[in-house]
Amino acid sequence: MTTVAARPSLATRLTALTKIVELGPGRLEPKLLAEASTLLTRAGERLKLSSEHTVVALAGGTGSGKSSLFNALSGLELSPTGVRRPTTARTHACVWGLEGATPLLDWLQIQWRHRFSRSSALDKGETQLNGLILLDLPDHDSIRALTDNEADRLIGVADLVVWVLDPQKYADASTHRRYVTELAGHEAVTVFALNQADRLSAEELAELVIDLNDLLRREGVEHPSVVPTSAVTGRGVDSLKSVIAAAVSRRRAAVQKLEADLHRLEQRIAQTMPVGEALSAPSTVDDARRLGLTDALCDAVGVPAVGEAMENVYAERSMSWVGWPYPRWLAKLRPNPLKALRLHDVADEIRGIASGSVSAQPAEVVNAVQALADGLSSDMHPVWRSSLNHAARSQAAKLPKALTDDLSEAAPRLDRVPWWWRLLKMWQYTLVAGFVLGLAWLATGLLFPGQAPLGVRLLGDTAALPWVGLMMAAVLGLGALSGIAARNFVELGASKERERLEREMRRRVSAIAETMVVEPVERELGRHHAFYTAMRAMAG
Amino acid sequence: MNTAMDDGRPESPGEQTLNFRAISDDTPAEPPPPAFDAFAPRVAPSRASEPAHAHERATKDVPTQNDEPPRPDRPAPNDEHAREDAPREDTDPEGAAPSAEEPAPEHETGHPDLAAAARDDATAPDEPVLGDRTGPEPVPGDRTGQGEPVADDFTDPDEPDPDDDRSPEAPAAPEAPATEVAFSGDGSAAVEDVRAQAESPDDAFSPDEPVAAPNPVTSTEHPAEPVEPVEPVEPVELVEPVEPVESADGAEATGEDDHRADVVEPGDRAEPTAPGDPAEPATPGDPAEPTTCGDHTDALHPDAPAEPPRRRGGEGLPPETVAALTAALDTLRASVSEVRFGLDLPGAEEARQAQADLLTQLQDYVLPRVRTSTAPALIVVAGSTGAGKSTLVNSLAEKNVSRTGVRRPTTGVPVLACHPEDRAWFAEGELLAGLRRIDTPQPDAGLDSMIVVPTEKLPQGVALLDTPDIDSVVEEHHEIAQRMLDAADLWVFVTTAARYADAPAWNLLRLAKERGARLAIVLSRVQPRARDVVLKHFVRMLTEYGLGEIDRFVINEAKVVDGRLPDSEVTELRLWLAELSVDEERREQAVRETLNGVLNSFRTRVPALAKHLEVQVAFRTELRADVEAAYRNALSETDKAFRGGTLIHGEVLARWQDFAGSGDLLRTLHLRKRGRSAGQAPERVMAFRTALRAGLESVIVAGANRAAEEVAARWRHRSPLGAKLAEDLDRPSDDLVRHASRAIAAWQEHVTEMVRTDGVAKRSVSKLLSFDADSLSLIFMVAMFSGPVEGLQHRLVTALLGAESLRGIGAKALSDLRARIGMLFDEESMRYAHVLDSAGIPDESIATRLYQATYNLEVAR
Repeated sequence: MTTVAARPSLATRLTALTKIVELGPGRLEPKLLAEASTLLTRAGERLKLSSEHTVVALAGGTGSGKSSLFNALSGLELSPTGVRRPTTARTHACVWGLEGATPLLDWLQIQWRHRFSRSSALDKGETQLNGLILLDLPDHDSIRALTDNEADRLIGVADLVVWVLDPQKYADASTHRRYVTELAGHEAVTVFALNQADRLSAEELAELVIDLNDLLRREGVEHPSVVPTSAVTGRGVDSLKSVIAAAVSRRRAAVQKLEADLHRLEQRIAQTMPVGEALSAPSTVDDARRLGLTDALCDAVGVPAVGEAMENVYAERSMSWVGWPYPRWLAKLRPNPLKALRLHDVADEIRGIASGSVSAQPAEVVNAVQALADGLSSDMHPVWRSSLNHAARSQAAKLPKALTDDLSEAAPRLDRVPWWWRLLKMWQYTLVAGFVLGLAWLATGLLFPGQAPLGVRLLGDTAALPWVGLMMAAVLGLGALSGIAARNFVELGASKERERLEREMRRRVSAIAETMVVEPVERELGRHHAFYTAMRAMAG
Repeated sequence: MNTAMDDGRPESPGEQTLNFRAISDDTPAEPPPPAFDAFAPRVAPSRASEPAHAHERATKDVPTQNDEPPRPDRPAPNDEHAREDAPREDTDPEGAAPSAEEPAPEHETGHPDLAAAARDDATAPDEPVLGDRTGPEPVPGDRTGQGEPVADDFTDPDEPDPDDDRSPEAPAAPEAPATEVAFSGDGSAAVEDVRAQAESPDDAFSPDEPVAAPNPVTSTEHPAEPVEPVEPVEPVELVEPVEPVESADGAEATGEDDHRADVVEPGDRAEPTAPGDPAEPATPGDPAEPTTCGDHTDALHPDAPAEPPRRRGGEGLPPETVAALTAALDTLRASVSEVRFGLDLPGAEEARQAQADLLTQLQDYVLPRVRTSTAPALIVVAGSTGAGKSTLVNSLAEKNVSRTGVRRPTTGVPVLACHPEDRAWFAEGELLAGLRRIDTPQPDAGLDSMIVVPTEKLPQGVALLDTPDIDSVVEEHHEIAQRMLDAADLWVFVTTAARYADAPAWNLLRLAKERGARLAIVLSRVQPRARDVVLKHFVRMLTEYGLGEIDRFVINEAKVVDGRLPDSEVTELRLWLAELSVDEERREQAVRETLNGVLNSFRTRVPALAKHLEVQVAFRTELRADVEAAYRNALSETDKAFRGGTLIHGEVLARWQDFAGSGDLLRTLHLRKRGRSAGQAPERVMAFRTALRAGLESVIVAGANRAAEEVAARWRHRSPLGAKLAEDLDRPSDDLVRHASRAIAAWQEHVTEMVRTDGVAKRSVSKLLSFDADSLSLIFMVAMFSGPVEGLQHRLVTALLGAESLRGIGAKALSDLRARIGMLFDEESMRYAHVLDSAGIPDESIATRLYQATYNLEVAR
């Protein structure tokens, strides 16, 4: 805490804490989260209240002499002392400079009848104590304290805590385990008063102070400030007073306490969710991942397969339109075993199947989304991993349907017939007709040479027959050629169509993935990033 | 009584010695019986019957005593005594055997009767006893005579029960059973008796007046132990001394004998006690002590006076009982040590601690104590750090046995101070056997060692154990202190004027109360001027906690010189110790009370362990059920996907369209010349096949994903431990995809094979066309997975394979697929089972065994 100045301001750190509290639910342990919001509230309230006052609490076990010390410090018998344990059940407060302290005392929930003012003491030259609110807490370790958390509450709230220890109880687990081990970083706002020093000889006291210092250091209090006091003889009370006075006059204890509390809270959160490499985790979904997701979703829909199927089916179907009819007709002459199986209409059904429809396979869609989330969250804290997963799959149930619906619009209708197929078909049949005509001519010429009717004398012209034959061959050749050419055209067109189709489908898949997967994921990544940024900011 | 003792001794010398001790224990118990009757019900209401027995015995004893003069009666009393003695007699097989045999039946029967009798006695018989008291004082024989009337009275009430009558009649026989009874009952009863004696003067007396009277007598007699010998009758006093000698404790025995001799006198004293003079009780042996005792007794135990100093004279428990108890305890220990709390459920840490405590206590204290209940009493000084435990022990030992200082905590290694005579017992005994004994403080002495320091300033028979604190920052100290307390016969709790309201202190006091441990409280560092206020307040708090009756000592704040308090501050405590040392009966009573308390505590502590074990088992079962349910869901989900047609979506659908629409389908079916079919499958068939495999895989992976997540979520939901166990298990294993793809490929092969071999059903078809089994199996799979909608694929396969074989292959293929997926999922779920198993497998049968062991222990008691 000596380096407080180098740290970002308390306000910045509290803002960071606000962010953490905001993002915490479901991610932070409920207990930590509750503590964080309590601290936030307390900080807000404390900072609103008088910054001119410093709340100093005398805390300790029963019988350590808190009340005696309180009286010694205030110079008045304000808090009753006694031999019966526990003596003090309600917190007593003594204020040096009452002005503006009332709201603070209200906030501390100090009962009216236990409030005392030492404003008159200012005349006695205790100006350096002006602004001190001294609290005499009940003990925290007696059987009474089991059912009363007042001491616990005020120890948490006070700006500066003076731990009143005594030779008998200075090593009690109830003090150390519950409070002192939590004090790392609180050195500036914690003082240890080793009371009842009058019970020990000088050597014993020295030994004890060393032992106490060691003990405190072992527990993480690096520079413990230990003041031996004796409320009975008054020894050491002045040095304690001056330590308190120094804190009071600096007017920084409240802020320092909050900073120390923030620091501790941050450390505790960091224990479960270390900042570590978390900030190097991606805060957006990069292009490679988007591409990967789109690819995976395309696979789930079967985009490449759909393209291929379209291409193949086109080519196959086009044959009955643009192919040279004769081979087809020849093929039909062959015996069809399917007929024997009463499956002669199967071809039509196949055409029906191949009429084309696109759908997404749910399992693959889910796996694709999962893969994205897993890839992004592999290094994250389990809590974040799970929340990222959750975000990624927030719409997973609707995704297959959305994909199916959207892509069906883009899907090719495999049974459609382009206009140029019809043209080609006409052309082919024209050729077929020409061939038939030529055949007739040839037959006529050959069967009735020179006897052709006058009207068609030409037909009987045997001299023309070779030309007719030639023409028929040409027609056949032209038909076959045009069939091949048309098929090539079809395939060319189909492959272009397929490219176009795949592009279109990818575009649609990618758009859907963007809105239904990537966006929620990025929102969660943003939260992740914000959380750890806040953690870092809070750590200072 | 003495006469009786004599008789017994003559019978079997070895036994006698044993008997003697036993007697001393029992005897004290016996004498008290009258008191017991009154007292017992209070003390142990739960064990009504047992206490009753005790009473009965007591009553019987009384009668026996009374009877003794008249021989016929005597036997009966003897029997009773014998019973008590008998267990002890075990050592003497011969003597014990005969007596045991006969008595056995009676005992059993006798007990209930006895109980009844005891009650009756309490009411009616006591009165006569009272009369006796006055009489008995002079001589044991006289006592017996006096006792007789009592017995008669008892018998009268008991008459209905033949056994009771018998018991008096058949002295020897009843003994053995009696011992048993005595054990359960006696243990408690004895303790109670002692207490009764102690209290009897105060509390018990008024109602039990008659009893009280007999008590003094009995007590004196008992110490003398002659009671048992009574049977033999004649040798009264002489016998007693003899027995001690036999008892085998060489030096001590002799000493004891002397004491006993004294005792006899004490018996006389007892009479005075009976009158109610506390001063008189003072042990005869130690002149100084008596006075102190008297004072103490006033303050502390009024009973003390009643018991004359008997050193180790009293035997703990009857041998049978010891054997039975030891066996039961051994079983208990075995069962407890088998318990494993592998799961870190809430409470597991506590349960583990409780288990360790239980085992340690059994080993350190209960077993040794049961085996030799007559060992010196271990007084454990416990309390807060800085309360002055070490200072107190030093002051009492008048020797700096334990380091003191201002540093907190001061004492880390327990220090035991005892009389040199007792040193052997503590240095080598089984008590706290787990601790290494060292003679002097060593820097490297760990927490598992104990310093044993002999000092003559401590009276014999009691040892003081200075323990680490119960509330300092060094938490290991709390454990070691707890362990010491678990092995303590008496607890001396030290607190200070500054700490008496500390929560840890009261936790400890509550524990002591729960355990039924004998407790004394020392409030030290009291400022003289604040003494009254503090003391009053403290006492009020104690009373509120139900500890108002506890022995209390107050030590003023005083200058500690050389680690010791001024002697004047500890005089009271010293006297108390001396009294304990001298007053064997009371000491043993305290010892037994604590032992009983501990044994009683097992009634709740062991079942608590079993309960937690059951919780663990139940939790584990729940977690396993979660896994099973998740994977069952996953399996049924995949099944649904297969049946519902969602598989024929996406790429599979496209490939199917491709396959069918591009003409490959027809081509594969068309006249395919045999022999050519073996050729390479067309590209599209391969792609289709691959797509189908990928589709199946994705369904399986998605199912496994969902299942893994579901398990993790369920476990997390159950408890933080579940979350911890499920860590890294919320995803399917890395091998899943590989395994799944292998499984699916194998399945596809299998289906193809089935189609090839089984599917050739239709001759007509095979005559007409050959088909490619690969392609056909693909069509078959599409048909299988395309759900309820009948389509082309169905028609095709039906036409080609025939409806019948289609159904056959279909069913087989589906169940085969399911089996394969099931295996995959099983493998997945094994990971969870492993995690659970690696945390230890709680064995439910152990819980049952724990309950059984607890029950057996109760029976053995």
